Amino acid sequence: MTEKGEVRPVSLYSARKKLHVRSVSGRFARWRWALVWLTQILYYGLPWLTWNDRQAVLFHLTERKFYLFGAIFWPQDVFYLAVLLILSAYALFFFTAIAGRLWCGYACPQTVYTEIFMWIEEKIEGDHNRRRKLDKTPMDGRKFALRAAKFGAWGLFSLWTGFTFVAYFSPLDELLASLTTFGFGPWETFWILFYAAFTYAFAGILREQVCEYMCPYARFQGVMFDQDTLVITYDEARGDPRGARRKGVVPASVGKGDCTDCGICVQVCPTGIDIRNGLQYECIGCAACIDACDQVMDRMEYPRGLIRYSTENALRQHWGRKEILRHVVRPRTLIYGAFLVLITFAMIAGLAMRTDLRVDIIRDRATLAREVSDGQIENVYRLQIMNMVERERTVEIRVDGLDGATLQEGEPIVLPAAATGAATVQVRVPADAAEPGSHPLYFEVSVREDPGVTVREQTTFMLPR
Amino acid sequence: MLKWILVLWPSFLVAAVAEAVFFVVVDPQQLYLFGEPVRYSPIATYSIGFFGFWLACAASSLLTLFLQPVGTRPPAHR
Repeated sequence: MTEKGEVRPVSLYSARKKLHVRSVSGRFARWRWALVWLTQILYYGLPWLTWNDRQAVLFHLTERKFYLFGAIFWPQDVFYLAVLLILSAYALFFFTAIAGRLWCGYACPQTVYTEIFMWIEEKIEGDHNRRRKLDKTPMDGRKFALRAAKFGAWGLFSLWTGFTFVAYFSPLDELLASLTTFGFGPWETFWILFYAAFTYAFAGILREQVCEYMCPYARFQGVMFDQDTLVITYDEARGDPRGARRKGVVPASVGKGDCTDCGICVQVCPTGIDIRNGLQYECIGCAACIDACDQVMDRMEYPRGLIRYSTENALRQHWGRKEILRHVVRPRTLIYGAFLVLITFAMIAGLAMRTDLRVDIIRDRATLAREVSDGQIENVYRLQIMNMVERERTVEIRVDGLDGATLQEGEPIVLPAAATGAATVQVRVPADAAEPGSHPLYFEVSVREDPGVTVREQTTFMLPR
Repeated sequence: MLKWILVLWPSFLVAAVAEAVFFVVVDPQQLYLFGEPVRYSPIATYSIGFFGFWLACAASSLLTLFLQPVGTRPPAHR
């Protein structure tokens, strides 16, 4: 008992209880596994693909180039990256508005790796009951062997994940050559271990705590919800009052609802919540409880869907599937959808119109202008020409914009594949061609091999007084 | 523990973003360190950059936590 008036701090955080999640099968679990396979085949597989005799997908840190199949992106293309991020954000908003935390439940790396780690755990230590029992037994030879096997398997899987991560930034063939001798560079080693440690900790140990305490998206996803958002819902009107009964008993005859209070929906929940208490922020929308409950309903010979994807409005107004689907189209989803389509088209158009030649003109800083023979004025420029395709190309430079402007040394410049070439060029203009001062001058750089590719850039020409 | 997560985790996220934005814009080969051009390998420069960002962001998070009014502090501050 505390004395009157004494204030004691009360912790709102309860100590975490380790969850032993029961595995689940069913149509939503199949969807999740399909996405596990899809995302992980992509993740582990992409670095192994080759294209044009090089790695197909590589963020080459040393060369500062991003290879993506046939395309190469340079730091100058950061605009596309920004658009891609905006696109991803709108996709997230769009899907969240329609059906809640689809990303969290099926595609988020946290969910995907936790799923894989739990699968390994179950294969080695057995189902949730065996694991709980194993936790309580004192350490002996068998427990040690099981634990060592589990941690070892998790560790190897994590290391492979870390190795793959680094292979996106450092060429895989070089890494593989180092793998045979474990002769990675110090930083490569460090990042492989760093990423592996994160994978291990997040998917093996922290699990649902990452979603509950660390994920920013989990905190703000609620603002995208409205009363027509599909969320995983327990049908209280149908299920309550809950209670056990024998198979096939008509619930009304025993004064009960359809919920048999078997608790399997809680056992399968990866965040350990009871969905029957309503929508909670811990719920990642994985639908494991739907799969579990449907199986129980089948066994009891009751209709499926006591726990199902439904909306707040649908539950209140007893809508059927058709009406729920009709309400998917609403201002919020239309606006998100419209932005999504617009930005996608802008991105595709931008990429299609992107020229694979880039020219930067830098005026010579040492001398603005100088007089040369026969009363001509010369300005010097440095041209940096970026050849963005993977074959050698020859470029020709022309100038215009000022009467009588001529280019000295009209030799074509050969640019190596996917590289930047530089050329210093002198432009001469008759001294009486224009008023003294600065005048616009245009450089036109065209590719001899691709007649369509021409870049026109503006600069200035100085005529002294 | 919670205090450390509150300091290190948000700073990690922001450092990752800062790292990406900074090094997309700035070529590490063009940086100068104490008046000398940076001679580390690119991967070393990127890595050091990341930890620099993380450290700076963590310092900011730590200060935020420190300056927080007593009543709103997380219970881990006991």
